[in-house]
Amino acid sequence: MSTLVRKRHDRAAARRAADIGKRVEYVTFALAGEAYAVPISRVAEILKPLPITPVPRSPRVVIGVMTVRGRLVTVLDLRRRLRLPESPLDHKSRILITDTGEERIGLLVDEVMQVHRLGESEIEARDVLGGDPEPYLAGIGRPDGAVLILLDLRPILES
Amino acid sequence: MEKAREDFLSEAQELVDSLSRDLLVLDQQTRRGDSDPELVNDLFRAIHTLKGLAGLFGAARMAAVSHELEELLDDLRLGRVELGVKVVDLLFRGVELYGLLLLAEKGEAPEPTRVVEEFLFRLGELTHQGGTGGASQVAQYEIDSSILGVLTEYEEHRLRTNMKAGVSLYRIHVALALTTIDTALDDIKAAARPLGEIITYLPSGSGSDADRIELDILMASHADLDGLRAAFRGLDVAVEAVKKRGGGDSSAVARSAQTPDPPQSPARSSPAPVPAAVPDDGLDEAVVTPWPADVALAPVERAATASLGVAGETTGSGLTLPPAFPPVGADGAQGQRDNRDLSLRSVSQTVRVDIRKLDNLMNVVGELAMVRAAMGRMTERVRAEPQLRAWGSELHRLQRTFERHLTQMQNGILEVRMVPLGQVFEKLARVVRQISREHDKVVNLVITGAETEIDKLIVEELSDPLMHMIRNAIDHGIELREERTLVGKPAAGTVALNAFQKGNHVLIEVEDDGSGMSPERLIDTAVKRGLLKRSEAEELTTREVYNLIFLPGFTTRETATDLSGRGFGMDVVKTNIAKLGGVVDISSAVGIGTKITITLPITLAIISVLGVEVHGRSFAVPLASVEEAITFDESLVRNFDGREALTQRGATLPICRLSRLFGLEDQASPPGESRARRHAKPCVVIASVGNRRLGFVVDRLVGQQDVVIKALGKSLKSVRGFAGATELGDQRVGLVLDVAALMEEFLASDKERISEGARAR
Repeated sequence: MSTLVRKRHDRAAARRAADIGKRVEYVTFALAGEAYAVPISRVAEILKPLPITPVPRSPRVVIGVMTVRGRLVTVLDLRRRLRLPESPLDHKSRILITDTGEERIGLLVDEVMQVHRLGESEIEARDVLGGDPEPYLAGIGRPDGAVLILLDLRPILES
Repeated sequence: MEKAREDFLSEAQELVDSLSRDLLVLDQQTRRGDSDPELVNDLFRAIHTLKGLAGLFGAARMAAVSHELEELLDDLRLGRVELGVKVVDLLFRGVELYGLLLLAEKGEAPEPTRVVEEFLFRLGELTHQGGTGGASQVAQYEIDSSILGVLTEYEEHRLRTNMKAGVSLYRIHVALALTTIDTALDDIKAAARPLGEIITYLPSGSGSDADRIELDILMASHADLDGLRAAFRGLDVAVEAVKKRGGGDSSAVARSAQTPDPPQSPARSSPAPVPAAVPDDGLDEAVVTPWPADVALAPVERAATASLGVAGETTGSGLTLPPAFPPVGADGAQGQRDNRDLSLRSVSQTVRVDIRKLDNLMNVVGELAMVRAAMGRMTERVRAEPQLRAWGSELHRLQRTFERHLTQMQNGILEVRMVPLGQVFEKLARVVRQISREHDKVVNLVITGAETEIDKLIVEELSDPLMHMIRNAIDHGIELREERTLVGKPAAGTVALNAFQKGNHVLIEVEDDGSGMSPERLIDTAVKRGLLKRSEAEELTTREVYNLIFLPGFTTRETATDLSGRGFGMDVVKTNIAKLGGVVDISSAVGIGTKITITLPITLAIISVLGVEVHGRSFAVPLASVEEAITFDESLVRNFDGREALTQRGATLPICRLSRLFGLEDQASPPGESRARRHAKPCVVIASVGNRRLGFVVDRLVGQQDVVIKALGKSLKSVRGFAGATELGDQRVGLVLDVAALMEEFLASDKERISEGARAR
């Protein structure tokens, strides 16, 4: 009896592993009450907010510049970029640093939560909601019942 | 892999640069009518190395071009093609082509396919012309046919060239101990060099002495026999003249009689000379005379000593070095190895470094400076505690040492960034040559101060502006030959490029002895082009009149030529120089010439700034463009036509309120700001770029400091008015104003206002 259960269990696990396919690690963070995620490989480091110097005449999404270990980083407000309502900084606010190869860019987020390993089968295509999705929407991640909005950083950083 | 490719590109670039340098020298020599065979060999080697590199990295076009150029240079070396202006032109073209090809390899330009094909075609035309003979001169000397037979094609060519030039031939007989042969040969070469050219080294004698080797050196020299003997005094050599034919018994013949008859081994057929390529008839007999077997050491020696051997060794074309000869004597092989060690050593003394790495280091130094400042504050606190006094002084001492080393390190890094201006001057020499030829003007370029050092980044940005200035000098400045002769000037014009250091600045002057600029003509032109009103013209100072040439669209030409006349060159010059924090000044005298002076900061990495505060925000103004700072009195502001200005020293000074320009007025101030504002002592920072002045109104002056400037990221490219950002201590970032851009924006919003100051005066 127990062997039968175990066998069935094993088979299910094997099938699940095959279904999930290649796994990618995502770092998840909160913006205006929603959970977002980007591949962790794109994030160089996560910092608590440092003093940021505003740059006059810069695009609205730019909060300003700061230095991290001697390097200049341009900080963007990800809420503004995704046209979400603004909110003041608090003790949970974090800056994700990403390197585009040409410059270092910091993305201000409300809170950094955890790292998820997502298999291919756990990601829904970007057009699952139909219509014409924003270019920065990479898909919807569904690890264990949670819902993550996956972002493609390139279009976010380009504009 | 990527790294290797980068290395390839930078190494290739270096080779191309050195090619260009050598070509300029060759060009001068060709015009004078002489040529240094060593130089052609150098060129050959450089191209050969390029070919190898290109092949290694799959740069097929570059390899193809190199291959053909190599052929041409080989033909030049061997005298199959005559060195002339046409050939030099083609070689210059080749260098340009390398430039294009390298750009294409970097992905910054399309592959210049068509240009390459055209170039290869022209090269082909030249190399397949064939050469000119000259054996008759050789024939008039009593050189034993066995010697002629073993001369390589190259040596034979040198022999012929020297004879054509009427240089006498000498035979120098030496006996050298095998153990010291390297140094002894070097001594002989050193003694021979000032007097002429060594054509070949030939082993002679019976070879019975195992420790010694006897050599006959064939040398061409202008000096007479006594002169040569004097030069070789103390070297234990016998010098004798090679007699012209009909001059009696030649010892060469006698000597050759001593050498045993060549054995008829099959290996004989391979040795050096490839006379089939030379359409000479007088040498046929020589060709069939094989090289005696027991003197096989000679070619090895040659490889080690004569430059020809080095080239032959690397060509792989099997041209000069008979492959049948293995290195025989240990000493011969040693000689080769020494040569190679020598060249390796000279290469390894320099390191190529990506400038970004230096920027990183500079950032670290900036961080350390910050740490030092924090430590300084700590030290002061410790010293203020009576019971910690001893520790305090100790800390203080350590801190001083730290500071000293930090300064040294900073200076060291700055020094590494410095490169001689000669790098850019060399490129200009090529431009001068090209432009003057196109224009049928004879122009001498006189360069002084090429060794003056300046920041690498500045050098990169300088070539365009300087090129425009030189073009202008030749095109507009230097008169046609006939005109010059008419007014009693030498037919050849002179463009001088002078560089020197003056304090923290480097000055570069471009000076021509041409026609100069006439203020009246400049004004007429500006009025005609609608850049200036006649009524305004009278109020301009001479300096301001000269500065008219910087206006975009200003040109004295009715039609644009290839070279200049579109009216944007000088505008580019001014903008580029201003970007580097530099200033351009002009002085000119009709009939005598024009001098344009560029004043540049020595380095871009560290600049002195004046810290200011506007609406609670920190900004930095580069001190290079600050004239002075005065207190701001709101009540003295006058309004002209919607623009605010002050009267300062009897002249009108337009002012710009930074808080308004940057839209800070309607923004919430940072915390603590309201108190700071109450303590504000508004000031006007008077900045000047070129002949323009503008006062920036700020809330407070913070003070002067040297800062490391960092460029703003790509996402802020569209933001105008800032040259970069810098750390001002306590981790706050201050934006560095781009004074030139701000002025441009603020003052030149309408073209009619050429000079605010002049108009109001």
